[in-house]
Amino acid sequence: MSTPREPLRRVVVAGGGQVGVLAALALRRSLPECEVIVIGSQPGPAAFADWSPSAMPFTNKLHDRLGIAEADIITKAGGSYRLVTRYAGWGGGEQQGVLAYGEALDPALKTAFARDWGQVRPLGAGAPPTGSVAQVLAEAGRFAPPPPGEPTPLAAVDYALRWHPAAYRALLIQQAEAAGVRYAEGVIDRVEPGEGDAIRAAGLAGQGLIEADLFIDCTGPQASLLAAHPRFAFTDWSASLPTRHVYLAEPAAPVIALEDRITLIPAGWVTEVAGRDGLHRVLGTAGPLARAEAEALLGVPARAAIALTPGRAAEPWIGNVVALGDAAARFEPLGPLHLDLAHRQLDLLLEMLPGRAISPLERAEYNRRSGLMMEGVHEVLALHFAGIEAQRVFGARVLPGRVGAVIDQFVRRGRIPFREELPLLGQEQYALLVALGWTPGLPPAARHADAAAEARARAAFEADARAALAFAPPYDQWLARTLGANRAPAG
Amino acid sequence: MMSDAPQPVRVVVLGGGTAGWMTAAGIAKLLPDLARVQLVESEEIGIVGVGEATLPHIRGFVEKLGIDEAAFMKATHATFKLGIDFRDFGRIGESYIHPFGSFGEEVAGVGFHHYWLELARHGMARDLGDYSLAVAAAKANRFRPPSQDDSLGSTYGYAYQFDATLFGPFMREFGLGLGIERHEGRVVSVERDAVSGDVVALLLADGRRVIGDLFVDCSGFRSLLLGQELGVAWEDWTHWLPCDRAAAMPCTHATDDLRPYTTATAMPAGWRWQIPLQHRMGNGYVFSSAHITEEQACDAIRASAEGTPLADPRILKFRPGRRAQSWSHNVIGVGLASGFLEPLESTSIYLAQMAITYLIELFPAAAGQIDPRDRAEFNRLVDMEYDRVRDFLILHYNATTRDDSEFWNHVRTMRVPDSLADKLELWRNAGRIEKYSDGLFYDASWIAVYVGQGMLPERHDPRAAMIAPDALARATERLRMAVTGEVATMPGHREYLRAEAARLAEAA
Repeated sequence: MSTPREPLRRVVVAGGGQVGVLAALALRRSLPECEVIVIGSQPGPAAFADWSPSAMPFTNKLHDRLGIAEADIITKAGGSYRLVTRYAGWGGGEQQGVLAYGEALDPALKTAFARDWGQVRPLGAGAPPTGSVAQVLAEAGRFAPPPPGEPTPLAAVDYALRWHPAAYRALLIQQAEAAGVRYAEGVIDRVEPGEGDAIRAAGLAGQGLIEADLFIDCTGPQASLLAAHPRFAFTDWSASLPTRHVYLAEPAAPVIALEDRITLIPAGWVTEVAGRDGLHRVLGTAGPLARAEAEALLGVPARAAIALTPGRAAEPWIGNVVALGDAAARFEPLGPLHLDLAHRQLDLLLEMLPGRAISPLERAEYNRRSGLMMEGVHEVLALHFAGIEAQRVFGARVLPGRVGAVIDQFVRRGRIPFREELPLLGQEQYALLVALGWTPGLPPAARHADAAAEARARAAFEADARAALAFAPPYDQWLARTLGANRAPAG
Repeated sequence: MMSDAPQPVRVVVLGGGTAGWMTAAGIAKLLPDLARVQLVESEEIGIVGVGEATLPHIRGFVEKLGIDEAAFMKATHATFKLGIDFRDFGRIGESYIHPFGSFGEEVAGVGFHHYWLELARHGMARDLGDYSLAVAAAKANRFRPPSQDDSLGSTYGYAYQFDATLFGPFMREFGLGLGIERHEGRVVSVERDAVSGDVVALLLADGRRVIGDLFVDCSGFRSLLLGQELGVAWEDWTHWLPCDRAAAMPCTHATDDLRPYTTATAMPAGWRWQIPLQHRMGNGYVFSSAHITEEQACDAIRASAEGTPLADPRILKFRPGRRAQSWSHNVIGVGLASGFLEPLESTSIYLAQMAITYLIELFPAAAGQIDPRDRAEFNRLVDMEYDRVRDFLILHYNATTRDDSEFWNHVRTMRVPDSLADKLELWRNAGRIEKYSDGLFYDASWIAVYVGQGMLPERHDPRAAMIAPDALARATERLRMAVTGEVATMPGHREYLRAEAARLAEAA
């Protein structure tokens, strides 16, 4: 007869950034009888996940489950919507490409695209043909979040949220406090070993020891708890990921836009995330730059310069310590992968939530799957640096894992091999590779051109795009209306 | 237009069984401009043709080829299949259905089986299958295709049970209609390129020479090209899956019921199948020749048959395992020539179709242009599929308390592959399933077998105990009633087949 495991009685979340607070809230929601305490402080700007102003569509689902309303993020945390990310410069010259979310593209359309664009791609051609309704909307500046569950022309458009990290964190703290999460601020200054691989307690300077059954390390890159463990090991990604220096710009003038940008420049890469509080630019380079040099490239003053050694915890769960965010994996903020990874790992932890006694095999299974997640991020990042233009900037890098095979299959066959726990769906990976300047090959079955099917797919796509455009209001007007309606009455 | 269109790849399929004709038809249909397909078969060589039960994936394959479901079912006397009823596996007298569907639903991120385990602890759990629409419909001998929304009526899939001796000819007919060139004759020797070692041509007994760029070995266990000619090693799995023979004996239906499921009943040295077709009951005993003789198996199948035998028992020989590579040089093995896993979970046709699908995806761009990277990718995918199915089959034997025969003592106590041992331990300790989305058999399948064969975990998720047992019992009871309510609206299996046949006749 199976019995329920003895539930966790107390969980300590070390690190009070947006990753730690969300983890605490999620754990408390999962285990209402369990005491959840956030200890330590908010990690500094080097903790990319904790300061990320954006996530990917997965986070919307997680928010949903945790009762964090999208409308609250929009009205209270400076929230906004991203439909696409535009890549520029990665394929050389004027080449650009757009990555939209979701798995919606009709195979016949993809085939036609691969044939027209891939096989007989005109030399010096500009952008590939539009392949998603999201891109059509983003370029027209029209969007409003579709009412969930209703069959509107926008129902199939997947999107990501952006927000103001400090305001978003404040929103989470409010909910966490309401849910009964406690907070002990201070500096974590020691770790008391427990039985076997476990730790018994974490110490806060001047406040004594705090014991717990499970410790979640959300302290950022220093990984205060996990790295203190004698069995901690770091898997280095330096050979494949070239960025060593990251410069964060002061926010520039606010931008209302449905797209963000990732651009390869001669000095490195620049990302631009549109925000209602300002445009957030980040610059990544291989070598160090003088402040003035970095600021010249960013176009605005820099607020931080961060040195980076990419890699991951070989085992993000050791004993009773589980690392999330930058404590688990350290890599350049080239797109919103940090928070996406942290949230998917948190979701995995919730799925596999242990009891007080942890079985080594469940830890191994967690580490296997979260390892696949981290290596998936590693491989997606490595795709960025595999192209000729990127190699001109950063030098040739080792292609990790299956990256070489993925590019080979894509270029020769237009095929995306399935990979478990990847941050991108097959279709998204296809769009990313095109955006990075790779030209898809034609799948064998597509050599037999079915012009009628392709024309039908194109016509259906165009009808969908027209319907979406007709349905969606101008995004800036919708946003102004929404914020106006939610403004508290004066007085 | 491209003026320098590459020469079509000359594909030679060796073997006119189910695998051979599926391969030939698949390539001819889906790669019409890229391939020219020839098939070599010999009437002197028999066809195994036992694979009578299938998995839901076959529907995608049939649909991709543009074959009409109703016409296909009529031609092969097919019935619908919602799962497999396993009897006497965990313990004599116990049974469970492994459905093409789920059990209950996840609540607050916690799998339904944890709640079920919690209910069982309080003595309030009903049979796990009571919370599965596929199981409940199967038990009631009812069938209707699943709905396309996300209601309860969409929570299952289905496959077919058909006459394999009719399926091969059906595929042959279909393939010949696609312009496949057929050569009747026996292969007497294989011509190879002296430098590359690639196969160049097959020489037939009457002197004909069939030249090709790509050879697909569908010659069954003889594995004429992949095994015999290229000498690709065979990895033997008999120590884990000792069954190596089947005694097949079709019978008449014993009752009016037409089950929408296959039955697998554990026997002292293996198991026996009952596969209901429209016109007869497929029937046979899969056994280990190390534990009983062929005569004993034939006697056992005669003694256990429920209907009137339509033929004498026929013995089939096989061996579980797979080739170290399924694609070597320019030869690809499909079906038994590349690997075999006993039909306990009806995987034979799936494994052939899986290989065909990957071959089409990774097909050479032009004659003489096999890329070693495509070959490696094909082998990686095929190996993964075989290994995952293998572990799942071993589970059916290993998760047992049976100690009534030497056979069961062996499989109960054998050392299982490490990949399976870890899965078992994770289940025992925490009630969790190792998760993957590639390959075959996901959570619900593993849970069906674990629970069905009495292998309950020691511990389950603490969150399942946060709901008061009575409240949990009420919620699951509502679910059960919804299932029985839905089943009550479904037509009988035979009734549904008749209506479909009438619809087809009217349309014609």
